[in-house]
Order: sequence, then structure tokens, then C-alpha cells
Amino acid sequence: MDERFSGFGAYILYTVTAGMMLFILAPLLLVMAASVSDSYFVTFPPQGFTLKWYAKVLQDRDFLEAMRLSILLALGTTAGSLLLGVPAAFALVRGKFFGLAAIKGFLLSPLIFPALVTGLALLQVLTKLGSQDARLNLLIGHVVVTSPYVIRTVVTSLQLVDENLEDAARTLGANRLTTFWRVTLPQIASGVAAGGLFAFMVSFDNYPVTMWLANSEYSPVPLVLMRQLVNVFDPSVPAMSTIIILMAMVGVLLLEKLVGLRRALAA
Amino acid sequence: MRSSEVRLDRLSKEYNHTVAVDDVSLTIEPGHMVALLGPSGCGKTTCLRMIAGLIRPTSGDVFVNDKRMTDVPVHRRNVGMLFQNYALFPHLTVEENIAFGLEMRGISKADAAKKVGEALSLVQLSSFGKRYPAQLSGGQQQRVALGRALVIEPAMLLLDEPLGALDKGLRESMQVELRALQRRLGLTTVMVTHDQDEALTMADKIVVMRDGKLEQVGSATEIYQRPSSKFVAQFIGASNLFQGPVEQRNGNGAVIRVSPELSLQVDEVPQSASDVMVSIRPEAIVVERVGQSPASQRANSVTALVDQAIYRGFVSHYYLKTPSGGQIIVFEQNQSQQAGLRYAVGEEVVARWESPSNHVIARH
Repeated sequence: MDERFSGFGAYILYTVTAGMMLFILAPLLLVMAASVSDSYFVTFPPQGFTLKWYAKVLQDRDFLEAMRLSILLALGTTAGSLLLGVPAAFALVRGKFFGLAAIKGFLLSPLIFPALVTGLALLQVLTKLGSQDARLNLLIGHVVVTSPYVIRTVVTSLQLVDENLEDAARTLGANRLTTFWRVTLPQIASGVAAGGLFAFMVSFDNYPVTMWLANSEYSPVPLVLMRQLVNVFDPSVPAMSTIIILMAMVGVLLLEKLVGLRRALAA
Repeated sequence: MRSSEVRLDRLSKEYNHTVAVDDVSLTIEPGHMVALLGPSGCGKTTCLRMIAGLIRPTSGDVFVNDKRMTDVPVHRRNVGMLFQNYALFPHLTVEENIAFGLEMRGISKADAAKKVGEALSLVQLSSFGKRYPAQLSGGQQQRVALGRALVIEPAMLLLDEPLGALDKGLRESMQVELRALQRRLGLTTVMVTHDQDEALTMADKIVVMRDGKLEQVGSATEIYQRPSSKFVAQFIGASNLFQGPVEQRNGNGAVIRVSPELSLQVDEVPQSASDVMVSIRPEAIVVERVGQSPASQRANSVTALVDQAIYRGFVSHYYLKTPSGGQIIVFEQNQSQQAGLRYAVGEEVVARWESPSNHVIARH
């Protein structure tokens, strides 16, 4: 045990930490518990135990279709935001050009602007441009929302990379692209992975932008969930939510396995 | 084939109207080791990076064997470079680090493996090939970096304060080792350093830089014995600087009046000079007790009080105060049988030196 975490101070620290964990996790546990309730409405504590809501949800064509759409959308968004975000981060950290600070502020702005406003603005622009395909509009919207997450994590990890490494690679005969691919990228892999995971998860459960850009034909999971919630608030809603929670957990564990969560988030 | 001549022709670099390197022209002979020496911010690193191709000059050119390299991108220049923090790729093993440059040149795996082996034995790290940089000491890491730079058979070696991060003892042994290797390979080398000892130890030619300009270029002895400016005299080693009017000419030389109690006999003074600056190295001055020095000597001699006396092992430093308030620094080598300082603080002594030790500084 570390010296700093012993004695009375440690006792307080653990208590506070446990309290925080409970505060964050309790609602999720509540949802998970409600999903196995053998009743027609969401109740707590759950009555009895059943997996029938999962059976129902997994046969629900609307939900499965939404899942498929959301996963594809999140994958596309992840790819898109990495393709835009990684080079942007590189330019922001390594570049020396006029207006750098302003551009940096602007690129990270969707983290500050209300997503609801971003969504509405996007809807207006895309409509003006005559973009009718809801899937494309959703992809564009989600990339706009998620890129700042990628940029932020990659900027932070890039700042820790010694520029001399890149200079050394170049003197050894690597051009800029090879240098980035062979030397820089391995150093920032954890930041890129974390950014990618953020992009995936933010896209997957984004409601405020999605709401504006989806239509009746292409509705991602959050919209279907919302609709279900408004129509029939039966335990299939918590069942859907539980499936999403489990997916997020798998994502986090995957990241931990691949690059180590601590490293990814330290970035 | 390896010995390339490097020539800088009116090289300049400006950043936002600040001049980092100002009109530098310099020829580095094949196989020579040249040290760019100066305080931080003097433009020496910018100069080195322009030679490497990592920085584009605002104006001027870099020639290697009379071939203009200014527009050749860094990755096609075939330079070996060492960095102060080693810049080893942390995600690659020692072998992979050294093989990197070979891989970029499309050399087959088998040939590369052989060359990597040779490079490892050249830098005496044969058994460390499978380790990662983080598992090596600073000195070992810089050897790996050296192996990585040499394995590509570069046209020249560029060293950016390569030993600055090592502690003193290791740094000195690495200086000697690196110099011996460079001589053996006959590799044209440019080194950047702010450490005058390192420059004196390693370089055939020392280039003293200040504010982006060349201050003086010459061998270690030239730079040390005949500094061309006040800046060089003070930057390289310690100097006693005196200034005064020409009192009396005698042949090529003159007597310079520094203060009522001190005049200097200088053997050579430009005919036009009326106000002269003279530098005297602290080790050229002899300290004696009053009454012991020859009474006939009037120039290059002054009576002074010992203001501070510092024992530093093989030398003692004396800081003397002359009656008119001038300071004279004297380094005296300690003899083996001698026990400590010869003069105490407050003691009255005579400092004197021979006239060839008076070096006239042209620019001041």
C-alpha cells in the first residue's frame, strides 16, 4: 500500500470515492434492475425476475434496425472524426501559422456550443444544400459533434511527443508521412484510441443533434428509445438501455485491454 | 567517399523580423570536426538545423561537395544527427532503432541485420540489441543514437549538444571516445555546444557565434590565445581585460597606460590605435611577495592586495585588488608537495607577467 493512502486520510478518501461511485452508478444499476422486472410497467424494486423483455427487445425489428443504424453510424463517425481530427490536431500542435489560437478555439467549440443549437444550424445548412439523405446528414452532424473530442485527446497526447523524434526520423530518411506513420502515430496511439472511443460513444448516444437530422425511416437508437419511452414505458426500455450500458462497458474494457485506460485518459 | 566538404554561403534565418542567423559564411573541410560555440540564442542550433535541412534558410545556401543542398528535403540529404535528448524511438528496440534508416533506404532485411550488428559493435552495445531505449542509461542511449546515425553512412555528422544531458565524468570520456571515432571514420562533423571545454576538447576548428553572427573562427589555440574580440576573450576561458591610451610607442609596440600604478608593454600595436584593449589570461600572471620581484620591471607589474583566495585542487584562484580599484584574476597551478594556498586574503603581493602575454584585442 502506498504511504500516501494510509491512515485516517485514506479512510476519508475511500469513503468519498465510494460515495461518488455510488452516485454515478446507482441510476445505471436501477435501470438494469428494472429491466428484469416481471411487470408491465417500470417499477422499483423489480417484481420477480424475467428475461422476457430482452427477448422482446431482441425481436423488435424497430430496435434492431435502430441498433444496426446506430452502430454503423457510430463506426462511420469514428472513422470520419479520426480522419479529420488527427490531422487537425497535428496541425494545431506542430503548426506555426497565423490565427492558430483562434482556429484551435473554434475547432474545439462544439464542446462549448449547445449541441441543440449545433443540430438546428446543421439542419438548416444541410437543407439549404439540398442534402436529403438522413444517413449522410447524421454522419456529417455526428462528425461535427465528435471531432472536437478526437482533436482534444490527440492534441494532448501529441504535446507530449518530443519533436526531436520526428526530426531524427527525417534525418534518417523518412519523409513527413512516413515519419508520422512510423514514429508519431505509435506515440499517440493511446490518445487516438481514446478519441475514437469517445467519438463512438458520443455518436451512439447523441440525442440533441440526432433529433434534428433523423427522419422516420432512419432513426438511431436514442430516438427509438425516446419514442418507446413516450409511448409505452414498459421494462423493454430499461432492457434496451441495459444493452447499451453493456456495450459501453465492453468498449471501455476493450480500450483498457488494447492501450490501457489509464494511459489513454492520461492523454 | 564519406569525407564531404560542407560550405555555408551567406546563410541567414529570420523569424518574424528577428534575425536568428545573420549572413553566415563558413567552409568546413572534409573530415574536420567543427564546433559552433556560443551562448544560448546565438543562432548556433538554427545554423546546424539549416545544414541538416530541418530549417529552411531565409536566404543563402548550403553546399555539400559543391552541390547546392538548400532545396533538398532533409530526408534526402543523408545526414546523421545526434540530439541532446537522444531522440531514440521509444516504441522500437535498439536494433529496430538502428535499422530504421536502413529500412528507409530500402536495404534488404539480411543486409540491414548485418549492418546493424556492425553498428552495435562499433558503439560497443552488441548485447543490448533487443532492449528498449527506456532500459538503457543516458550514455548507452546516446551510443545507440550514434550507431543509428552512423549506420546510414552519412555524408556528415551533426551533433546538437549531444553530451549535454550526461554527467561530467561520462561526458568527458564520451567526448574523447566520440572524437576518436570521428577521426577514425574521417567523417565531416559539425557540433553545437555552449560548453567551451567540449569545443576545445573535440574540435579541429571552433566557430564562436554571437547574435547570429560569426564572432571568430579558428583552432582551439588561436581562439584561446588570440581572441579577436572582448566577447571571445570573456566567453572562452577567463580573461583580465585592461584598457588605456597609448602612452609611448617603441618600434611596433607601445606602452599602454591603464591606471596610475599599471602600465602594459605591448609588443605589437596597430599604428592607428590610440586607445587599446589588452587581454591577459589568468594563468599567465605570476604572484610574488612584495620585495621578491625584480625592482627593474615597471610595466606589466602591479602591487595589489589579495581580495579572495580559492583553493581548487590542482589550481588556486586569486582575486587581487589594485590600489585604484581594478581587479586581477590569477590562476596558479598547485605543486604536488604544496599544502594549500600560498597567499592569504589581505596580503600585499606583486602580480607580474611577460609582455608576450599581453594580447591586443582588435574589436572591443
